[in-house]
Amino acid sequence: MLVPGKIQHIICTGNLCIKEVHDYLKTLCPDLHIARGEYDEETRYPETKTLTIGQFKLGLCHGHQVIPWGDLDSLAMLQRQLDVDILVTGHTHQFTAYKHEGGVVINPGSASGAFSSITYDVNPSFVLMDIDGLRVVVYVYELIDGEVKVDKIDFKKTTAAHSAH
Amino acid sequence: MFHSPQMVKKRVPEWLNSSLWSSTPSPSLDDDRVQPYTSKPTTTTTITSSSSTSDYEPPSMVDPPIPVPPPKPTREDKPPPQPQSTDSLPNHEDKNNTTPSPEDISRQAQLLVELSRKTINLRDLRRIASQGIPDGAGIRSTVWKLLLGYLPPDRGLWSSELAKKRSQYKHFKDELLMNPSEITRKMDNCTNCDTDESKGQGKGLLSRSEIIHGEHPLSLGQSSVWNQFFQDTEIIEQIDRDVKRTHPDLHFFSGDSSDAKSNQDALKNILIVFAKLNPGIRYVQGMNEILAPLFYVFKTDPNEEDAASAEADTFFCFVELLSGFRDHFCQQLDNSVVGIRSTITKLSQLLKEHDEELWRHLEITTKVNPQFYAFRWITLLLTQEFNFADSLHIWDTLLSDPEGPQETLLRVCCAMLILIRRRLLAGDFTSNLKLLQNYPPTNIRHLLYVANKLRVQSSG
Repeated sequence: MLVPGKIQHIICTGNLCIKEVHDYLKTLCPDLHIARGEYDEETRYPETKTLTIGQFKLGLCHGHQVIPWGDLDSLAMLQRQLDVDILVTGHTHQFTAYKHEGGVVINPGSASGAFSSITYDVNPSFVLMDIDGLRVVVYVYELIDGEVKVDKIDFKKTTAAHSAH
Repeated sequence: MFHSPQMVKKRVPEWLNSSLWSSTPSPSLDDDRVQPYTSKPTTTTTITSSSSTSDYEPPSMVDPPIPVPPPKPTREDKPPPQPQSTDSLPNHEDKNNTTPSPEDISRQAQLLVELSRKTINLRDLRRIASQGIPDGAGIRSTVWKLLLGYLPPDRGLWSSELAKKRSQYKHFKDELLMNPSEITRKMDNCTNCDTDESKGQGKGLLSRSEIIHGEHPLSLGQSSVWNQFFQDTEIIEQIDRDVKRTHPDLHFFSGDSSDAKSNQDALKNILIVFAKLNPGIRYVQGMNEILAPLFYVFKTDPNEEDAASAEADTFFCFVELLSGFRDHFCQQLDNSVVGIRSTITKLSQLLKEHDEELWRHLEITTKVNPQFYAFRWITLLLTQEFNFADSLHIWDTLLSDPEGPQETLLRVCCAMLILIRRRLLAGDFTSNLKLLQNYPPTNIRHLLYVANKLRVQSSG
């Protein structure tokens, strides 16, 4: 399913650990954004990153720096600091999507289903975001019991957004 | 000024007696007033050999419109072997941009008369148009639309037909050029009601919903809009590349101006819609070259309303024009009876019929396989062999042929070969191939005249 040419950007929350994974992701799409996780060997990935795609500002951070891990309010603080509409974080190896006044927080989960000390029973998952104007459709791909299940989430950005003035 | 004809023939030198100068009026011309091969005084003066004969007006010429008719090379059996080869003529097209010659004006008048009728007589229109449509009149757009059957002969039906076709094209565009994000959004709006999450104040988990029909961006399903979108991406990229390369020397098509960009967009839209509506043939490189003259002519229509709808009109005319040549673009049909190879063979046979010596020299002695040069001539309807203005004139003749463009096209190709026969006969494989792949600038009127003569003789 994941073949080159279909995806324009890859946003990765980190813990790729080895260069081979980085190279694999590069073959899917040349525009690759990575934030540093605690196990990454590559020291040059940044701790946080922001980018703009279409009408949306996206922020990227691995998440082990935000304590308590996975806590919505703390993540919301980080999001306001970065001033982004969508914050993408990881570390918990569990898919979640939160909404709050400042925007949306998406945790795509672990693409490899790797062991996590905070989550039992990790299902591998990733997320595709279709950004179209002010609307985003998030397609969630999960591998559950050997089968790929796809769901989606819709949301729109308010034009009178809480962007930093 | 005149001598009696007999005296003329006794006194003139031998070379002047060749069939080239004899002037039996060609039977193919219906209209004596309008002769395809006449030139202004400027061109005759360059042919130094002819200026002496101009004094001896051949008696059998009927009512020549201008006082100094040049010698008309009637092609009985021999092609014109004379120094008046087309290589030496100056650029014929310059004259069209300066003052129209008398026969241009008369032809323009005739065309205008035809077009003003309530019901257009297509046969007459074809006859006049085949001799060329004057550039300055701004009527080429309408004439082509009639010739291609886009406009019906009955003038009263024009507005309704145009409205119908243009709205149909718009419908095609809306349906086919939408990207999958828009399509899925439309699908969503039909099923769920749009819960307005943009209230923005709420906190909490975002609800997950089911996807419809398995539609997601990585879907591999045949009917998935996403899958089709990605499959089409390749073709769309190809179209984009080719459109950008079309006629880079013309400001109309290329450059940074917003006009050029919107023209390119129009070309792309037409080709994409065509590719999607014709999955059997899709898009093949070269279609952009056939599309370009059509769009140029329609877009430069002095009638503003027509020029604004040029894209829609071009689409239908393009379909019509291509319908006769579709098989040339289909690779599987290459070797079939209707494919490009068979058409090239027809050209070869035509050449053999009219000029066996040249045919033999080309194909057997120097082994120049017609595929090496004729492929491009035929599939791209000669758009690449001449400059843009000239190819419009050639298309006037191609489109006005009641037998369909292909027959005339082959005759024109044959005429192209015959006109440079001296150089070809003198050349070997390399020089001949080089010559044929870079056809030298030539007098288009003369070329079309010769091509027309071939028709007369092949029927004999």
